[in-house]
Amino acid sequence: MSDLDTWRTPQAPHAVGPADGSLADILERVLDKGIVIAGDIKIDLLDIELLTIRVRLFIASVDTARKAGIDWWETDPALSSRAARDDLREENRRLRDRLDELDPAGDHADRKDRELRQDHQPHQDHGSRQDRDSRQDRTKETPR
Amino acid sequence: MTDTTTAPHAVCVFAVRRGRGPDLPPALSGHEGGGPLRLMPVGALWSVVQDVPSDTYSEESLHGRLSEPATLERCVRAHHAVVTAFAARGAAIPLPLATLFHSQERARTALLAHAPRFERGLARIAGRAEWAVKVNLLATSAPAPEPTPAPTPTPATGRAYLNRLRERGQAREQRRERAVQAAELLDRAVLSLADATVRRRPHSAEVTGRDRAQIMNAAYLVPEDRAAELLALVEQLRAAPEFQDSEVEVTGPWVPYSFVDAASFTEVASSPGDRPPATAEPRDRGPHETVPQDAAGSRA
Repeated sequence: MSDLDTWRTPQAPHAVGPADGSLADILERVLDKGIVIAGDIKIDLLDIELLTIRVRLFIASVDTARKAGIDWWETDPALSSRAARDDLREENRRLRDRLDELDPAGDHADRKDRELRQDHQPHQDHGSRQDRDSRQDRTKETPR
Repeated sequence: MTDTTTAPHAVCVFAVRRGRGPDLPPALSGHEGGGPLRLMPVGALWSVVQDVPSDTYSEESLHGRLSEPATLERCVRAHHAVVTAFAARGAAIPLPLATLFHSQERARTALLAHAPRFERGLARIAGRAEWAVKVNLLATSAPAPEPTPAPTPTPATGRAYLNRLRERGQAREQRRERAVQAAELLDRAVLSLADATVRRRPHSAEVTGRDRAQIMNAAYLVPEDRAAELLALVEQLRAAPEFQDSEVEVTGPWVPYSFVDAASFTEVASSPGDRPPATAEPRDRGPHETVPQDAAGSRA
Protein backbone atom coordinates (compact mmCIF):
# COMPACT_ATOMS: atom_id res chain seq x y z
CA MET A 1 0.00 0.00 0.00
CA SER A 2 2.76 2.40 0.85
CA ASP A 3 4.15 1.97 -2.65
CA LEU A 4 0.92 3.12 -4.17
CA ASP A 5 0.58 5.94 -1.71
CA THR A 6 3.96 7.41 -2.52
CA TRP A 7 3.20 7.13 -6.18
CA ARG A 8 -0.17 8.81 -5.84
CA THR A 9 0.70 11.36 -3.15
CA PRO A 10 -2.98 12.03 -2.59
CA GLN A 11 -2.35 14.07 0.52
CA ALA A 12 -0.05 16.57 -1.16
CA PRO A 13 -2.07 18.38 -3.79
CA HIS A 14 0.63 20.94 -4.48
CA ALA A 15 3.17 18.25 -5.20
CA VAL A 16 1.06 16.90 -8.06
CA GLY A 17 1.97 19.64 -10.46
CA PRO A 18 -0.11 19.73 -13.63
CA ALA A 19 3.05 19.89 -15.72
CA ASP A 20 3.82 16.31 -14.74
CA GLY A 21 0.36 15.17 -13.74
CA SER A 22 -0.82 11.60 -14.03
CA LEU A 23 -1.11 10.43 -17.60
CA ALA A 24 -4.80 9.62 -17.23
CA ASP A 25 -5.46 13.21 -16.11
CA ILE A 26 -3.46 14.68 -18.96
CA LEU A 27 -4.96 12.36 -21.56
CA GLU A 28 -8.51 13.22 -20.73
CA ARG A 29 -7.63 16.87 -21.15
CA VAL A 30 -5.42 17.09 -24.21
CA LEU A 31 -7.16 14.67 -26.54
CA ASP A 32 -10.31 16.55 -27.41
CA LYS A 33 -10.57 19.39 -24.97
CA GLY A 34 -9.72 22.96 -25.75
CA ILE A 35 -11.14 24.62 -28.82
CA VAL A 36 -11.39 22.04 -31.55
CA ILE A 37 -10.73 23.35 -35.04
CA ALA A 38 -10.47 21.19 -38.13
CA GLY A 39 -6.87 20.71 -39.15
CA ASP A 40 -5.75 19.76 -42.66
CA ILE A 41 -4.58 16.44 -41.36
CA LYS A 42 -7.54 14.65 -39.90
CA ILE A 43 -6.83 12.68 -36.81
CA ASP A 44 -9.91 10.97 -35.47
CA LEU A 45 -9.44 11.91 -31.85
CA LEU A 46 -12.58 10.09 -30.89
CA ASP A 47 -11.03 6.95 -32.23
CA ILE A 48 -7.74 7.72 -30.53
CA GLU A 49 -9.61 8.26 -27.32
CA LEU A 50 -11.29 4.90 -27.62
CA LEU A 51 -7.94 3.29 -28.10
CA THR A 52 -6.49 5.15 -25.21
CA ILE A 53 -9.14 3.98 -22.85
CA ARG A 54 -7.25 0.75 -22.91
CA VAL A 55 -3.92 2.38 -23.52
CA ARG A 56 -4.57 4.49 -20.50
CA LEU A 57 -5.35 1.45 -18.43
CA PHE A 58 -2.24 -0.14 -19.75
CA ILE A 59 0.04 2.74 -18.87
CA ALA A 60 -1.47 3.39 -15.50
CA SER A 61 -1.27 -0.28 -14.74
CA VAL A 62 2.35 -0.41 -15.73
CA ASP A 63 3.07 2.61 -13.56
CA THR A 64 1.34 1.05 -10.62
CA ALA A 65 2.70 -2.39 -11.22
CA ARG A 66 6.25 -1.22 -11.69
CA LYS A 67 6.11 0.32 -8.25
CA ALA A 68 4.75 -2.88 -6.86
CA GLY A 69 7.29 -4.98 -8.76
CA ILE A 70 4.79 -7.05 -10.73
CA ASP A 71 4.46 -7.69 -14.43
CA TRP A 72 1.05 -9.23 -14.97
CA TRP A 73 0.23 -6.92 -17.88
CA GLU A 74 2.60 -8.79 -20.13
CA THR A 75 0.20 -11.71 -20.28
CA ASP A 76 -3.15 -9.98 -19.90
CA PRO A 77 -5.19 -10.69 -23.02
CA ALA A 78 -7.35 -7.63 -22.37
CA LEU A 79 -4.33 -5.52 -23.21
CA SER A 80 -3.77 -6.92 -26.67
CA SER A 81 -4.50 -4.47 -29.43
CA ARG A 82 -7.87 -3.83 -30.92
CA ALA A 83 -6.35 -4.63 -34.27
CA ALA A 84 -5.94 -8.24 -33.24
CA ARG A 85 -9.59 -8.44 -32.27
CA ASP A 86 -10.67 -6.82 -35.52
CA ASP A 87 -8.56 -9.32 -37.44
CA LEU A 88 -10.41 -12.17 -35.80
CA ARG A 89 -13.73 -10.60 -36.59
CA GLU A 90 -12.72 -10.02 -40.18
CA GLU A 91 -11.55 -13.61 -40.56
CA ASN A 92 -14.83 -14.79 -39.10
CA ARG A 93 -16.74 -12.74 -41.60
CA ARG A 94 -14.71 -14.07 -44.51
CA LEU A 95 -15.31 -17.64 -43.40
CA ARG A 96 -19.03 -17.05 -43.15
CA ASP A 97 -19.14 -15.51 -46.62
CA ARG A 98 -17.25 -18.48 -47.96
CA LEU A 99 -19.76 -20.78 -46.29
CA ASP A 100 -22.59 -18.90 -47.94
CA GLU A 101 -20.86 -19.24 -51.30
CA LEU A 102 -20.38 -22.96 -50.92
CA ASP A 103 -23.88 -23.56 -49.67
CA PRO A 104 -26.12 -20.78 -50.90
CA ALA A 105 -29.30 -22.66 -50.02
CA GLY A 106 -28.04 -23.45 -46.54
CA ASP A 107 -29.91 -22.08 -43.61
CA HIS A 108 -27.78 -19.23 -42.28
CA ALA A 109 -30.66 -17.31 -40.85
CA ASP A 110 -29.06 -17.39 -37.46
CA ARG A 111 -26.06 -15.52 -38.77
CA LYS A 112 -27.00 -12.23 -37.16
CA ASP A 113 -27.57 -14.04 -33.96
CA ARG A 114 -24.14 -15.57 -34.09
CA GLU A 115 -22.58 -12.20 -34.75
CA LEU A 116 -24.31 -10.80 -31.73
CA ARG A 117 -23.15 -13.63 -29.58
CA GLN A 118 -19.64 -13.19 -30.83
CA ASP A 119 -19.76 -9.62 -29.66
CA HIS A 120 -20.66 -10.72 -26.19
CA GLN A 121 -18.03 -13.31 -25.62
CA PRO A 122 -16.60 -12.42 -22.26
CA HIS A 123 -12.95 -12.43 -23.26
CA GLN A 124 -13.64 -9.96 -26.04
CA ASP A 125 -16.12 -7.88 -24.20
CA HIS A 126 -13.82 -6.27 -21.72
CA GLY A 127 -12.30 -3.84 -24.15
CA SER A 128 -15.35 -3.13 -26.21
CA ARG A 129 -17.46 -2.40 -23.17
CA GLN A 130 -14.91 0.14 -22.05
CA ASP A 131 -15.05 1.65 -25.50
CA ARG A 132 -18.79 2.00 -25.42
CA ASP A 133 -18.71 3.56 -21.98
CA SER A 134 -16.18 6.02 -23.16
CA ARG A 135 -18.22 7.00 -26.17
CA GLN A 136 -21.25 7.60 -23.98
CA ASP A 137 -19.24 9.65 -21.59
CA ARG A 138 -17.80 11.78 -24.30
CA THR A 139 -21.18 12.47 -25.80
CA LYS A 140 -22.44 13.70 -22.49
CA GLU A 141 -19.51 15.95 -21.86
CA THR A 142 -19.30 17.58 -25.22
CA PRO A 143 -22.53 17.29 -27.13
CA ARG A 144 -21.81 18.26 -30.70
CA MET B 1 14.95 13.97 -41.01
CA THR B 2 15.02 16.74 -38.47
CA ASP B 3 15.92 19.22 -41.18
CA THR B 4 12.41 20.62 -41.34
CA THR B 5 13.48 23.63 -43.39
CA THR B 6 13.91 21.54 -46.53
CA ALA B 7 11.99 18.32 -45.82
CA PRO B 8 8.22 18.45 -46.35
CA HIS B 9 6.62 19.47 -43.12
CA ALA B 10 3.27 20.10 -41.51
CA VAL B 11 2.54 22.83 -38.98
CA CYS B 12 1.29 21.83 -35.56
CA VAL B 13 -0.62 24.42 -33.52
CA PHE B 14 -0.63 24.02 -29.74
CA ALA B 15 -2.40 27.03 -28.25
CA VAL B 16 -3.54 30.60 -28.76
CA ARG B 17 -3.41 33.65 -26.50
CA ARG B 18 -3.56 37.44 -26.50
CA GLY B 19 -0.24 39.22 -26.87
CA ARG B 20 3.04 37.70 -27.91
CA GLY B 21 4.44 37.38 -24.42
CA PRO B 22 7.95 36.19 -23.65
CA ASP B 23 9.73 33.51 -25.66
CA LEU B 24 9.21 29.96 -24.56
CA PRO B 25 11.91 28.30 -22.49
CA PRO B 26 14.60 27.12 -24.96
CA ALA B 27 14.66 23.68 -23.33
CA LEU B 28 11.11 23.10 -24.48
CA SER B 29 11.32 21.01 -27.64
CA GLY B 30 7.71 20.21 -28.52
CA HIS B 31 7.02 17.14 -30.62
CA GLU B 32 9.62 14.57 -31.57
CA GLY B 33 11.45 15.34 -34.79
CA GLY B 34 9.93 18.79 -34.97
CA GLY B 35 11.65 22.11 -35.57
CA PRO B 36 11.91 24.87 -32.98
CA LEU B 37 8.73 26.18 -31.38
CA ARG B 38 7.66 29.51 -32.87
CA LEU B 39 5.29 32.24 -31.78
CA MET B 40 3.07 33.10 -34.73
CA PRO B 41 0.79 36.16 -34.91
CA VAL B 42 -2.83 35.50 -35.87
CA GLY B 43 -4.63 38.79 -36.25
CA ALA B 44 -4.75 40.24 -32.74
CA LEU B 45 -3.84 36.89 -31.20
CA TRP B 46 -0.67 34.85 -30.98
CA SER B 47 -0.21 31.14 -31.33
CA VAL B 48 2.59 28.71 -30.60
CA VAL B 49 3.37 26.46 -33.55
CA GLN B 50 5.98 23.96 -34.66
CA ASP B 51 7.02 22.42 -37.98
CA VAL B 52 6.84 18.64 -37.86
CA PRO B 53 7.96 16.16 -40.54
CA SER B 54 5.09 15.32 -42.90
CA ASP B 55 5.92 11.65 -43.12
CA THR B 56 5.68 10.89 -39.42
CA TYR B 57 2.79 13.30 -38.85
CA SER B 58 0.53 12.08 -41.65
CA GLU B 59 -2.92 10.75 -40.82
CA GLU B 60 -1.84 7.18 -41.25
CA SER B 61 1.43 7.46 -39.43
CA LEU B 62 -0.04 9.42 -36.53
CA HIS B 63 -2.90 7.05 -36.08
CA GLY B 64 -0.51 4.18 -35.84
CA ARG B 65 1.92 5.96 -33.58
CA LEU B 66 -0.71 7.34 -31.23
CA SER B 67 -2.02 3.84 -30.79
CA GLU B 68 1.25 2.83 -29.20
CA PRO B 69 1.14 3.56 -25.49
CA ALA B 70 4.71 4.81 -25.23
CA THR B 71 4.49 7.12 -28.25
CA LEU B 72 1.11 8.39 -27.20
CA GLU B 73 2.44 9.23 -23.77
CA ARG B 74 5.44 11.12 -25.16
CA CYS B 75 3.25 12.98 -27.63
CA VAL B 76 0.65 13.87 -25.03
CA ARG B 77 3.24 15.02 -22.53
CA ALA B 78 5.06 17.10 -25.15
CA HIS B 79 1.82 18.81 -26.11
CA HIS B 80 0.89 19.43 -22.50
CA ALA B 81 4.33 20.86 -21.68
CA VAL B 82 4.14 23.38 -24.53
CA VAL B 83 0.58 24.42 -23.65
CA THR B 84 1.42 24.82 -19.97
CA ALA B 85 4.57 26.86 -20.65
CA PHE B 86 2.74 29.09 -23.15
CA ALA B 87 -0.10 29.69 -20.68
CA ALA B 88 2.23 30.43 -17.78
CA ARG B 89 2.33 34.15 -18.61
CA GLY B 90 -1.32 34.77 -19.40
CA ALA B 91 -4.44 32.88 -20.32
CA ALA B 92 -4.11 30.64 -23.36
CA ILE B 93 -6.58 28.47 -25.26
CA PRO B 94 -5.27 24.97 -25.83
CA LEU B 95 -6.03 23.16 -29.06
CA PRO B 96 -6.43 19.39 -29.05
CA LEU B 97 -3.42 17.17 -29.51
CA ALA B 98 -2.10 17.07 -33.09
CA THR B 99 -3.98 19.97 -34.65
CA LEU B 100 -2.04 19.95 -37.93
CA PHE B 101 -1.99 22.04 -41.10
CA HIS B 102 -0.20 21.68 -44.42
CA SER B 103 1.43 25.10 -44.09
CA GLN B 104 1.81 28.06 -41.80
CA GLU B 105 -0.53 30.08 -44.02
CA ARG B 106 -3.27 27.46 -43.81
CA ALA B 107 -2.86 27.35 -40.05
CA ARG B 108 -3.12 31.11 -39.82
CA THR B 109 -6.24 31.19 -42.01
CA ALA B 110 -7.97 28.49 -39.96
CA LEU B 111 -7.10 30.18 -36.67
CA LEU B 112 -8.29 33.55 -37.94
CA ALA B 113 -11.62 32.05 -38.91
CA HIS B 114 -12.11 30.98 -35.31
CA ALA B 115 -10.86 34.21 -33.70
CA PRO B 116 -14.26 35.05 -32.15
CA ARG B 117 -14.38 31.66 -30.43
CA PHE B 118 -10.88 32.16 -29.13
CA GLU B 119 -11.80 35.60 -27.82
CA ARG B 120 -14.87 34.26 -26.05
CA GLY B 121 -12.89 31.42 -24.55
CA LEU B 122 -10.13 33.76 -23.39
CA ALA B 123 -12.65 36.06 -21.74
CA ARG B 124 -14.06 33.08 -19.90
CA ILE B 125 -10.78 31.72 -18.54
CA ALA B 126 -8.82 34.91 -17.90
CA GLY B 127 -7.57 34.90 -14.31
CA ARG B 128 -8.91 31.40 -13.71
CA ALA B 129 -7.51 27.91 -13.55
CA GLU B 130 -8.88 24.40 -13.79
CA TRP B 131 -8.74 22.18 -10.72
CA ALA B 132 -9.40 18.48 -10.77
CA VAL B 133 -11.16 17.01 -7.75
CA LYS B 134 -11.67 13.30 -7.33
CA VAL B 135 -13.27 11.21 -4.63
CA ASN B 136 -12.16 7.61 -4.24
CA LEU B 137 -13.86 5.06 -2.05
CA LEU B 138 -11.14 3.12 -0.27
CA ALA B 139 -11.38 -0.61 0.10
CA THR B 140 -11.75 -1.73 3.69
CA SER B 141 -8.29 -2.18 5.13
CA ALA B 142 -9.39 -5.05 7.37
CA PRO B 143 -12.24 -7.52 6.83
CA ALA B 144 -15.45 -6.33 8.44
CA PRO B 145 -15.94 -7.80 11.92
CA GLU B 146 -18.53 -10.56 12.18
CA PRO B 147 -21.82 -8.78 12.87
CA THR B 148 -22.95 -11.35 15.45
CA PRO B 149 -19.93 -13.04 16.97
CA ALA B 150 -21.23 -16.41 18.06
CA PRO B 151 -20.02 -17.67 21.44
CA THR B 152 -19.92 -21.22 20.14
CA PRO B 153 -18.91 -22.18 16.65
CA THR B 154 -22.10 -22.05 14.61
CA PRO B 155 -22.79 -24.89 12.25
CA ALA B 156 -21.86 -23.83 8.74
CA THR B 157 -25.37 -23.89 7.33
CA GLY B 158 -26.21 -22.58 3.92
CA ARG B 159 -28.53 -20.05 5.47
CA ALA B 160 -25.80 -18.61 7.69
CA TYR B 161 -23.51 -18.37 4.74
CA LEU B 162 -26.11 -16.52 2.68
CA ASN B 163 -26.83 -14.18 5.58
CA ARG B 164 -23.15 -13.36 5.87
CA LEU B 165 -22.95 -12.66 2.17
CA ARG B 166 -25.98 -10.41 2.33
CA GLU B 167 -24.65 -8.46 5.29
CA ARG B 168 -21.34 -7.99 3.58
CA GLY B 169 -23.14 -6.72 0.48
CA GLN B 170 -25.20 -4.30 2.54
CA ALA B 171 -22.12 -2.98 4.32
CA ARG B 172 -20.42 -2.41 0.99
CA GLU B 173 -23.48 -0.63 -0.35
CA GLN B 174 -23.61 1.61 2.73
CA ARG B 175 -19.97 2.55 2.35
CA ARG B 176 -20.52 3.37 -1.28
CA GLU B 177 -23.62 5.39 -0.46
CA ARG B 178 -21.69 7.35 2.15
CA ALA B 179 -18.92 8.06 -0.34
CA VAL B 180 -21.45 9.28 -2.91
CA GLN B 181 -22.89 11.63 -0.30
CA ALA B 182 -19.41 12.80 0.58
CA ALA B 183 -18.76 13.53 -3.08
CA GLU B 184 -22.00 15.53 -3.27
CA LEU B 185 -21.01 17.49 -0.21
CA LEU B 186 -17.61 18.23 -1.65
CA ASP B 187 -19.08 19.16 -5.04
CA ARG B 188 -21.49 21.67 -3.50
CA ALA B 189 -18.72 23.18 -1.42
CA VAL B 190 -16.32 23.55 -4.33
CA LEU B 191 -19.07 24.95 -6.55
CA SER B 192 -19.36 27.85 -4.13
CA LEU B 193 -15.89 28.90 -5.30
CA ALA B 194 -16.17 27.90 -8.93
CA ASP B 195 -17.44 29.53 -12.11
CA ALA B 196 -18.05 26.30 -13.98
CA THR B 197 -17.81 22.57 -13.59
CA VAL B 198 -17.63 19.39 -15.61
CA ARG B 199 -18.05 15.79 -14.55
CA ARG B 200 -15.90 13.17 -16.17
CA ARG B 201 -16.18 9.43 -16.25
CA PRO B 202 -14.53 8.07 -13.12
CA HIS B 203 -11.23 6.37 -13.73
CA SER B 204 -11.38 2.62 -13.62
CA ALA B 205 -9.78 0.40 -11.04
CA GLU B 206 -6.85 -0.11 -13.38
CA VAL B 207 -6.01 3.57 -13.03
CA THR B 208 -6.92 4.13 -9.41
CA GLY B 209 -5.48 0.87 -8.16
CA ARG B 210 -7.61 -2.03 -7.08
CA ASP B 211 -7.76 -0.81 -3.52
CA ARG B 212 -10.05 2.12 -4.37
CA ALA B 213 -13.08 2.85 -6.54
CA GLN B 214 -13.51 6.29 -8.01
CA ILE B 215 -16.82 7.88 -7.08
CA MET B 216 -16.35 11.31 -8.57
CA ASN B 217 -14.04 12.76 -11.19
CA ALA B 218 -14.83 16.43 -11.59
CA ALA B 219 -13.12 19.56 -12.81
CA TYR B 220 -13.84 23.13 -11.73
CA LEU B 221 -12.96 26.50 -13.15
CA VAL B 222 -11.77 28.52 -10.16
CA PRO B 223 -10.55 32.15 -9.96
CA GLU B 224 -6.80 32.24 -9.33
CA ASP B 225 -7.23 34.24 -6.14
CA ARG B 226 -9.49 31.57 -4.68
CA ALA B 227 -7.14 28.63 -5.11
CA ALA B 228 -5.95 28.80 -1.50
CA GLU B 229 -9.58 28.78 -0.36
CA LEU B 230 -10.25 25.71 -2.45
CA LEU B 231 -7.35 23.82 -0.92
CA ALA B 232 -8.32 24.86 2.60
CA LEU B 233 -11.89 23.81 1.97
CA VAL B 234 -10.87 20.38 0.75
CA GLU B 235 -8.50 19.95 3.67
CA GLN B 236 -11.32 20.78 6.06
CA LEU B 237 -13.79 18.42 4.39
CA ARG B 238 -11.35 15.52 4.45
CA ALA B 239 -11.77 15.46 8.21
CA ALA B 240 -15.58 15.30 8.03
CA PRO B 241 -17.23 12.01 9.06
CA GLU B 242 -18.69 11.50 5.58
CA PHE B 243 -15.16 11.06 4.28
CA GLN B 244 -14.09 8.32 6.63
CA ASP B 245 -14.01 5.72 3.84
CA SER B 246 -12.95 8.08 1.09
CA GLU B 247 -9.93 9.84 -0.19
CA VAL B 248 -10.04 13.23 -1.89
CA GLU B 249 -7.52 14.01 -4.59
CA VAL B 250 -6.99 17.56 -5.78
CA THR B 251 -4.70 18.47 -8.65
CA GLY B 252 -4.09 21.82 -10.22
CA PRO B 253 -3.83 24.49 -11.30
CA TRP B 254 -4.33 23.16 -14.83
CA VAL B 255 -4.59 25.21 -17.96
CA PRO B 256 -8.42 25.32 -18.26
CA TYR B 257 -8.59 22.66 -20.98
CA SER B 258 -12.13 21.72 -20.03
CA PHE B 259 -13.55 25.23 -19.94
CA VAL B 260 -12.55 27.02 -23.10
CA ASP B 261 -15.31 25.58 -25.25
CA ALA B 262 -18.77 26.62 -24.10
CA ALA B 263 -20.34 23.32 -25.17
CA SER B 264 -18.33 21.18 -22.81
CA PHE B 265 -19.20 22.26 -19.30
CA THR B 266 -21.89 23.52 -16.94
CA GLU B 267 -21.76 27.12 -15.89
CA VAL B 268 -22.36 27.94 -12.23
CA ALA B 269 -24.75 30.79 -11.44
CA SER B 270 -22.78 34.00 -11.04
CA SER B 271 -23.61 34.92 -7.46
CA PRO B 272 -23.81 32.49 -4.54
CA GLY B 273 -27.40 33.58 -3.87
CA ASP B 274 -28.44 32.57 -7.36
CA ARG B 275 -26.81 29.19 -7.11
CA PRO B 276 -29.18 26.37 -7.92
CA PRO B 277 -30.19 24.22 -4.98
CA ALA B 278 -28.21 21.11 -4.27
CA THR B 279 -30.73 18.99 -6.10
CA ALA B 280 -30.11 20.74 -9.39
CA GLU B 281 -27.88 18.33 -11.21
CA PRO B 282 -25.53 19.27 -13.99
CA ARG B 283 -26.79 17.56 -17.10
CA ASP B 284 -24.12 14.92 -17.23
CA ARG B 285 -23.95 14.04 -13.61
CA GLY B 286 -26.15 11.02 -13.03
CA PRO B 287 -24.45 8.10 -14.71
CA HIS B 288 -21.01 9.17 -13.59
CA GLU B 289 -21.71 8.42 -10.00
CA THR B 290 -22.10 4.79 -10.73
CA VAL B 291 -19.12 2.85 -9.61
CA PRO B 292 -18.04 0.65 -12.50
CA GLN B 293 -19.44 -2.80 -11.85
CA ASP B 294 -16.11 -4.52 -12.16
CA ALA B 295 -14.53 -2.11 -9.70
CA ALA B 296 -17.31 -2.57 -7.16
CA GLY B 297 -17.28 -6.31 -7.65
CA SER B 298 -13.59 -6.62 -6.95
CA ARG B 299 -14.04 -5.16 -3.50
CA ALA B 300 -15.16 -7.90 -1.16
